[in-house]
Amino acid sequence: MSEKTALLVDKHVEFIKSLDKKQDELEYWMTEHLRVSGIYWGLVALHLMRRQDALDRDKLISYILKCQNADGGFGGHINHDSHLLYTMSAVQILLMLNALDQIDSQKVTRFVVSLQDKNGQVSGDEWGERDTRFAFISVAILTILGTEDQLDHQGILQYVLDSMNYDGGFGSGPGGESHAAQVYTCLACLALLGELGRVNRERLSNWLAERQLDNGGLNGRPQKLEDVCYSWWVLSSLEILNRVHWIEREKLCEFILKAQDEEKGGIADRPGDMADVYHTCFGIAGLSLAGFGGLEDIDPVFCMPKNVIEQAGLAKWVTRVPKEWK
Amino acid sequence: MDDAEKAQTRQQVERYCALNQQVMELKAASVFSTESLSATKRLLEQNTELHTVWNYRRTIFMHLDAWQNADERQQMLEQELNFMLEIIQKNIKSYWMWGHRVWTLSSLPRPEWKRELGLVAKLLALDARNYHGWNYRRFIVSQLKAVAADTHAVDESEFAFTTEQINRDCANHAAWHNRSKLLPSILAHKSESDQQQVLQTENDLIMNAIYTDPEDQNAWLYYDWLLDIQKSDDDRCRLLRNKITAIQELLELDEDSKRPLIELVSAYAELQRLAPDTISDIEKADCLDTLCKLKNIDPFRAGRYSDMSRTLGQQWALSV
Repeated sequence: MSEKTALLVDKHVEFIKSLDKKQDELEYWMTEHLRVSGIYWGLVALHLMRRQDALDRDKLISYILKCQNADGGFGGHINHDSHLLYTMSAVQILLMLNALDQIDSQKVTRFVVSLQDKNGQVSGDEWGERDTRFAFISVAILTILGTEDQLDHQGILQYVLDSMNYDGGFGSGPGGESHAAQVYTCLACLALLGELGRVNRERLSNWLAERQLDNGGLNGRPQKLEDVCYSWWVLSSLEILNRVHWIEREKLCEFILKAQDEEKGGIADRPGDMADVYHTCFGIAGLSLAGFGGLEDIDPVFCMPKNVIEQAGLAKWVTRVPKEWK
Repeated sequence: MDDAEKAQTRQQVERYCALNQQVMELKAASVFSTESLSATKRLLEQNTELHTVWNYRRTIFMHLDAWQNADERQQMLEQELNFMLEIIQKNIKSYWMWGHRVWTLSSLPRPEWKRELGLVAKLLALDARNYHGWNYRRFIVSQLKAVAADTHAVDESEFAFTTEQINRDCANHAAWHNRSKLLPSILAHKSESDQQQVLQTENDLIMNAIYTDPEDQNAWLYYDWLLDIQKSDDDRCRLLRNKITAIQELLELDEDSKRPLIELVSAYAELQRLAPDTISDIEKADCLDTLCKLKNIDPFRAGRYSDMSRTLGQQWALSV
């Protein structure tokens, strides 16, 4: 395998553009249910590479709007049931495309608020699956729309704190084992609520730093395999904690770059595997956080370009990070 | 791809898309029948990730006449549990499928929680770290406790399950984690002297794991937990001193053993927080030396060791 030290920007742009042209592949149809999230992942990657114009803005907006349902939420594709996951992706896409004015914020807000129960916990949809991811997403969506006051913050805070473990990490809910993806969602949630002071910064930073394996890659919890997507979940968490320097960033970048597909573009979960847009997004996001040159900065809470977040007036969370952490 | 492969793929795509379209049309027309139920089954067998179709399937169940009759509902949903067992091999990490299983159990007139517990134990025997498996196990245990005459017995039984898992493989992080969640309620129902016994047993379990494999993080992390649940800082300092002694013994066997060295500096940092006056000058020097050593033998985390050197060095007013 050749030594890859450069980010193959043109290849990745072509890869992302080609995603919508794979109708002859079964995989294209089998992943239809998360198409909206696929677009979000692609758009973030393009933005970070400063190539966001590679996709047709009007076509994207038109498609996203068609994915909105009568209940105000968005499905992963047209006529698919609403879920917080896809509502989040839709709102993030419209923010990045500067098209939030095309939706009725109150309608989306009503959908999100309807998913919080009287105990403060948030479900992903009307069927009731609860997860700290949904706690974060509900706060994030409403913060973007400027309607975050309509949620019960105390309830969400309690749910997140109840999901904290002895290792400083967070699980999917009370009792859940610490997992890097849940650590990110809980930290991001606490950041938006202005409650980062509740975190055990030392323990959690240690736990996150231990995610780096000898090959430079990061895993999601002890004794698991490295995966490029953890370059985001772990690094964004460390960024919020202001401890990114607790891992070896150059080695991480080397690992991510080795996972690129030199021929077709895109990034895989680890070197040698097949590329997909999800790992392309989080690999590039990880590179940005690790300081790899030539990329836009990314906001570690919203997982969107910093310039987009700042322009939208959403960077307030930064001012509420505990002063001792700076 | 050669022509034969292309033709085969085209056929697969056409078949899948036709089935998908059929189901989505039935859904749009709100058709709740055994035929539409059957169509959703065929589609979900192909793709377990279609949460919209799982939603539709549940809605169909609730509209069928059989739903209104307890025995018929029982039979229908038991078949559903079997259906899910068949397809779980395809994707053991499917959030949607686990969610559907929870719904099915919750909708059964007579759910057999103990049988589910047995099933998930089998799954965890095959894949001890399965995140969904452990979450599901906690769900079942909470249901068992809701109907149990003696909820503490359920906790004790789960605690014993984690002991079994740890004895089988002390590197099982999920087992240690679940143990940490159960320990407080186990302790809460014991007398003062029995509590001491439990904590001593935990201490022994951890020490055994540490001596078996000093490089494994799990037992060390759990030791932090044991520190947390002590009642006083004096007890914590005593445990930290025990930890330091154990580490020093391990280092006599192998002075460059990485994890014990990391745990050593963590222990001193914690002692510095709780009882700074109890650390001797020799220990302070040893700690700072160890941090330098760690920057070499664990270079990826050099940033952390530098930060610790600076903080402790400032607090101890020694040159770094």
